[in-house]
Amino acid sequence: MFDFKPIRKKSPWILHYNAGSCNGCDIEILACLSPKYDIERFGVINTGNPKQSDVFLVTGPVTFRSRERLIELYTQMPEPKVVMAVGSCTCTGGVFRDMYNVEDGLDRYIPVDVYVPGCASSPELIIDGLVKALEILESKTKEIEKPFKLFRNETNKDGVVNRRNSALKVGEEIDDEEN
Amino acid sequence: MKKTINIPIGSQHIALLEPVRFKFECENEKIVGVGSDVGFVHRGIEKACTTKFKFDGIGYVVARVCGLCAITHSMTYTASIEKLIGGEITQKAKYLRILLLELDRVHSHMLCLSHTCENAGFEAMFMRIMGDREDIMEIQELITGNRVQFDYISIGGVNRDIDAAQAKNILAKLELLKHKVLGYIDEFTNNWSLSLKFKGIGVLTLDDAYRFNTIGPLARASGLQADVRNEIDYLPYDEVGFNMQTHSDGDINARNLVRLSELLNSIEMCNNILEGLPEGEIFTKLKGKPKGDTVVRFEAPRGELMYYVKGNGSAMLDRVRIKTPTFSSIPAFSHVFMGADYADAPAILASFDPCLSCTAK
Repeated sequence: MFDFKPIRKKSPWILHYNAGSCNGCDIEILACLSPKYDIERFGVINTGNPKQSDVFLVTGPVTFRSRERLIELYTQMPEPKVVMAVGSCTCTGGVFRDMYNVEDGLDRYIPVDVYVPGCASSPELIIDGLVKALEILESKTKEIEKPFKLFRNETNKDGVVNRRNSALKVGEEIDDEEN
Repeated sequence: MKKTINIPIGSQHIALLEPVRFKFECENEKIVGVGSDVGFVHRGIEKACTTKFKFDGIGYVVARVCGLCAITHSMTYTASIEKLIGGEITQKAKYLRILLLELDRVHSHMLCLSHTCENAGFEAMFMRIMGDREDIMEIQELITGNRVQFDYISIGGVNRDIDAAQAKNILAKLELLKHKVLGYIDEFTNNWSLSLKFKGIGVLTLDDAYRFNTIGPLARASGLQADVRNEIDYLPYDEVGFNMQTHSDGDINARNLVRLSELLNSIEMCNNILEGLPEGEIFTKLKGKPKGDTVVRFEAPRGELMYYVKGNGSAMLDRVRIKTPTFSSIPAFSHVFMGADYADAPAILASFDPCLSCTAK
């Protein structure tokens, strides 16, 4: 089978979603893609397709109407994926905290791996956060590729092989004492 | 049998910076119906201005309505509070405010031009303009300390002064930028591939511009003389060399050329300000609480921005109403899309330079 792992490490694709931001962080993300900061040297491409992306960049405190789309995009992204909250208002709600149409931050809805502060986050900070996100992406990849057992060993009682209850439930681990 | 196909753009799309949803009803390649939905980023800032924040802090809150024209928002709010309190600010503060307003206009117009090129498929021009835009961001960082969302204007004046060395540095950078803009004008006028994408596409006629009450570069590209900088007297725009830029074609190319000539005019204004900056204080302490109501208008990069502020003599305001430029232009947007090719839709949309976070507030 074709080995995707080295390629994913070299070229993480980002998906950008504006969940109610003021455009400040969005234009700084755009500035990151421009020649001065140029995150394309890390192999980063801004893609509009969630099914091909590895890093999810979210800006803005999550508004009521954008949250469904946010979660839809998050669930459509394949594992392993990293979520970056860009901007103060994405991390905590910031100046928009407690406004009536705002959900006070991204981590109430989806798990966040990297928080990038600043209003607006400067391109240097975003690049720092992205490099951090790449490390997390790599460790998540390793975690996924670790082999694990789906079944317990069958029990052998009086010459009768019994495979009942040998399938593991989701998230269940095998105790070392049993095997 | 139904003959039309519905194609949605948004709310998340690679050609869009912000969440907006357009539903295009297409017959073969032609667009015959448009529906738009702009409310994805509504946060409730108007309500929070009357319940959460005191009047002296709202200038920094309304800057977060929009990151691109943040300075115009805080300028308009500050002007309305100064009108209600009845204080006079120094001439130097007024000049510094114009300087930042025009620098903001330059970087916003450059972003729009580069985005129009990208959506028309000209990636190299996008990179070129975005790279040159960093000069302006550096100037803004030098003056105010932040690239975007510089809380520069406060009630009574501005927060930072510039010295002679900074002014010299900025003048040198603006001189460089001026030559780059002249290069863009050459490219936008003479490049054959760009003319295929821009000339005669997305036309808004002068009659329609009147009928739909358009504002900003969209109206000026159709030949409508609509610029608030010509009509206000809070800031001395007539002293710094403001000229209204208009064009008569009304297509995407005309909008680009209007923006480019406004770039040159804004750079000239910045030069004039830096060379003839008056001496004096930058900040006057104004006392009192706002009472009564007022309407103040300013020219944001996208058109007229209007604030209605009502105070009752206490620290909390009764009402803050924000009318933003993109909101007024949405009927014209829908009209221009009718009859255009679907393939041109992203470029037409970018040429309007819509700001949805302004619109939804």
